[in-house]
Amino acid sequence: MQTNGADLFAGLSPLDSAAVLALGTPLSLAAGAVLFGLGSDADCLYLIRRGRIALMLPMQLGDRDEDVLIEERVPGQTVGWSALIPPHRFTLTATAPLPTELTVFRRDALFAHCAQHPDVGYVIGMNVAAVIGQRLQVFQTMWLREMQRVVNHARA
Amino acid sequence: MEMFLMGLCLSFFGVVVSGILFAAATREERERETARRPEERVVLDAPQFFVSPLTASPASPVVRVPLEVLLLQIERHVRLEQAAAESFHEFPTVEALHVQTLSPLVH
Repeated sequence: MQTNGADLFAGLSPLDSAAVLALGTPLSLAAGAVLFGLGSDADCLYLIRRGRIALMLPMQLGDRDEDVLIEERVPGQTVGWSALIPPHRFTLTATAPLPTELTVFRRDALFAHCAQHPDVGYVIGMNVAAVIGQRLQVFQTMWLREMQRVVNHARA
Repeated sequence: MEMFLMGLCLSFFGVVVSGILFAAATREERERETARRPEERVVLDAPQFFVSPLTASPASPVVRVPLEVLLLQIERHVRLEQAAAESFHEFPTVEALHVQTLSPLVH
């Protein structure tokens, strides 16, 4: 797999990227398959190689709960950072809306590699922080836009 | 005594006639007032126990969107909002923060 453009490997040399990539195992998902469920144990980080991952949360529609799309991740992006951050539980449900291929990194293997190669661990830590930070800022913006609508509606 | 009874009857008759004339005189005004304020009329629905308010009245003005359509609208809304938020994240300006999207849920 090419690591160019993968957010997890940004700033790593090709050699270091290949060494980290060698820790992963491939996973193929059929369309509609669930990668992980809300509240389940988070032991693995996933890099999307092909396809798409939809991150969902349940919303009450009428008299039942329906998983609705919260965010979509595309090839080159990483999902499942809950595996690296305590309490290691997924806070979303991830599904593959179309046939999708991923690379799976187990937390213990990734941590062991980073402990042996602190410079690599530093870069990966910064890349994961960037993923989390980008999501936080995007959701802050989305939240404010919705709040603006609520206020506009209340004042109308 | 006869004179007293006659006077009493005439007084009673006078009161009744005055009442009828007053009611007739003010009826048109009351009808005009009622027609002018239709929103103040209280309409009581027939009691429908154990029936959901959403399904009780077939003539309800609430438009019910099929669940599948609603889910698609939510998906489209989320994609558009995420794109708008990511655009703001790249080039943060007040205009970019409040840019309108074509989401059907906000129009």
